[in-house]
Amino acid sequence: MKASVRPYAFSVVGVACALAIWQVLAEAKIAGNALPPATTVFSTLATILGTGTFWSSLGATIGIALLALALAAVAGVAIGLLVGSFESVKYATLAVLEFLKPVPPIVILPLAVLVLGPTAEMSLFLVVFGCLLPIVMQTVDGVQGTDPVARDTARSYGMGEGEILARVVLPSAMPYIGTAMRVAAPAALVVTVVAGLLGGGPGLGQNIYQAQAAGDYASLYGLVIVLGVLGLLFQGVTRLAERRVLHWHESYREAVPR
Amino acid sequence: MSNSLSTRNRKSTMAQQPKTRLSASTPRLDVAHLAKTYGSGGKARTVIEDLTFTVDAGEVVCIVGPSGVGKTTLLKCLAGLQPATSGRAAIDGRTISGPPPEMALVFQDYNRSLMPWLTVRKNLVLPLRHLKLSAAELRERCDGALAAVGLSHADNQYPWQLSGGMQQRVAIARALAYRPEILIMDEPFASVDAQTRFDLEDLCLKIRRDFNMTILVVTHDIDEAVYLADRVVVLGSRPARVLKVVDVDLPGPRDQITTRSLPEFARQRTEVLSLIKRPA
Repeated sequence: MKASVRPYAFSVVGVACALAIWQVLAEAKIAGNALPPATTVFSTLATILGTGTFWSSLGATIGIALLALALAAVAGVAIGLLVGSFESVKYATLAVLEFLKPVPPIVILPLAVLVLGPTAEMSLFLVVFGCLLPIVMQTVDGVQGTDPVARDTARSYGMGEGEILARVVLPSAMPYIGTAMRVAAPAALVVTVVAGLLGGGPGLGQNIYQAQAAGDYASLYGLVIVLGVLGLLFQGVTRLAERRVLHWHESYREAVPR
Repeated sequence: MSNSLSTRNRKSTMAQQPKTRLSASTPRLDVAHLAKTYGSGGKARTVIEDLTFTVDAGEVVCIVGPSGVGKTTLLKCLAGLQPATSGRAAIDGRTISGPPPEMALVFQDYNRSLMPWLTVRKNLVLPLRHLKLSAAELRERCDGALAAVGLSHADNQYPWQLSGGMQQRVAIARALAYRPEILIMDEPFASVDAQTRFDLEDLCLKIRRDFNMTILVVTHDIDEAVYLADRVVVLGSRPARVLKVVDVDLPGPRDQITTRSLPEFARQRTEVLSLIKRPA
């Protein structure tokens, strides 16, 4: 069958249209000076890309987001396995976890700034806080979704509880954990930026705040574009990683000729 | 290969009892007045009332009964996955209180029992890891087991890339690689097509011949039970109890065409069928 739609061609057309609309609206001064034209923003962005501060900020943002994501993943999966495996732990913690889950990290930002100051640790704490609980909850679901036949199989062969947890339950829960990570990765980036923007933590968020305070809207939108691209990158990489790790799962299996 | 089967390599998880010498009169597997009740008080539901039967070394015994009779519950008690409410099941005179190291279980749902994230070979290796075997022995056991079920070529494939019959052969190979002395199968061929079913039945008989294994098969297929078994334990339902143990007297080696066309085969299956059909 010949592909009638070329996805990339249409994507390019879509992006071009969006940029054109932006340019026209900005030239028409629809938002006064608050919305500079696309051409101005991109030329400013080119200048920003040539500065060392930009790259160290970018590094800080990516570093904080990734480190926090890794910490949240390790701790979240460990807690999730524990909560999911023991009924007593589950009932002891579920009410607290369910209560904390809908609390957005921004709510505890003032508290975090008060205790930790406008530091990388503060940003790290907020991102871990934001990503941890969804990963815990998904892991718990994954643990409890483990097929009882698979468990019985492992037990009937004399495998110990710890081995079953590591070699049967954890792999069974991986699709759930993968979903949690796919949602958490872009969220980690957002929270890192918010922590910089509102809490003064290091990274691109701080640069955006400074650009805004200085009324330098061209720089501000330039940095927002960088963030957008970074978000796409995060999403793409997590998708790719998920596809690799879960290649065996129904949703990723390649059709195999029998 | 049958020699290596006798090399036990695991510490027993069975109740600590003095090692009983195997005498001719000690059955391999001894089920005596086994009962299983779920829940208690007003909600108590007795699934198995009073089961007594034995399986001798090297025998193939089939358990048949109407569906929902509690066959799976029985197997879980035998495999040490759940405790009996009363009575006991014993291997060589030792009461089963946890998964016995000399036993392997083949489940009906091969697609739920095999791990989809592991290749065929790694599925075979999974239950062997805790035995701490040498790499050479691991390889030898897996190669031998895969060859025995005719799947040497599929060791790097994933179970879901194989047909249903091949997947069940992988599950059987996994059991063989564990080198059990007793093989228990729960409706092992219920989820495959008729032709594959015949092949798997013959594979089962071949395993008994080649490995001198004691095999217990739960099935609802009466023809299959008579074809496979030396003895058929016929269960009556709700709660489960033994209606009769039928000795199957068919000449061996059995063959799908000649054995099934014997008048004796028809007589035996009629006997079992009428036991099950008869209102209890």
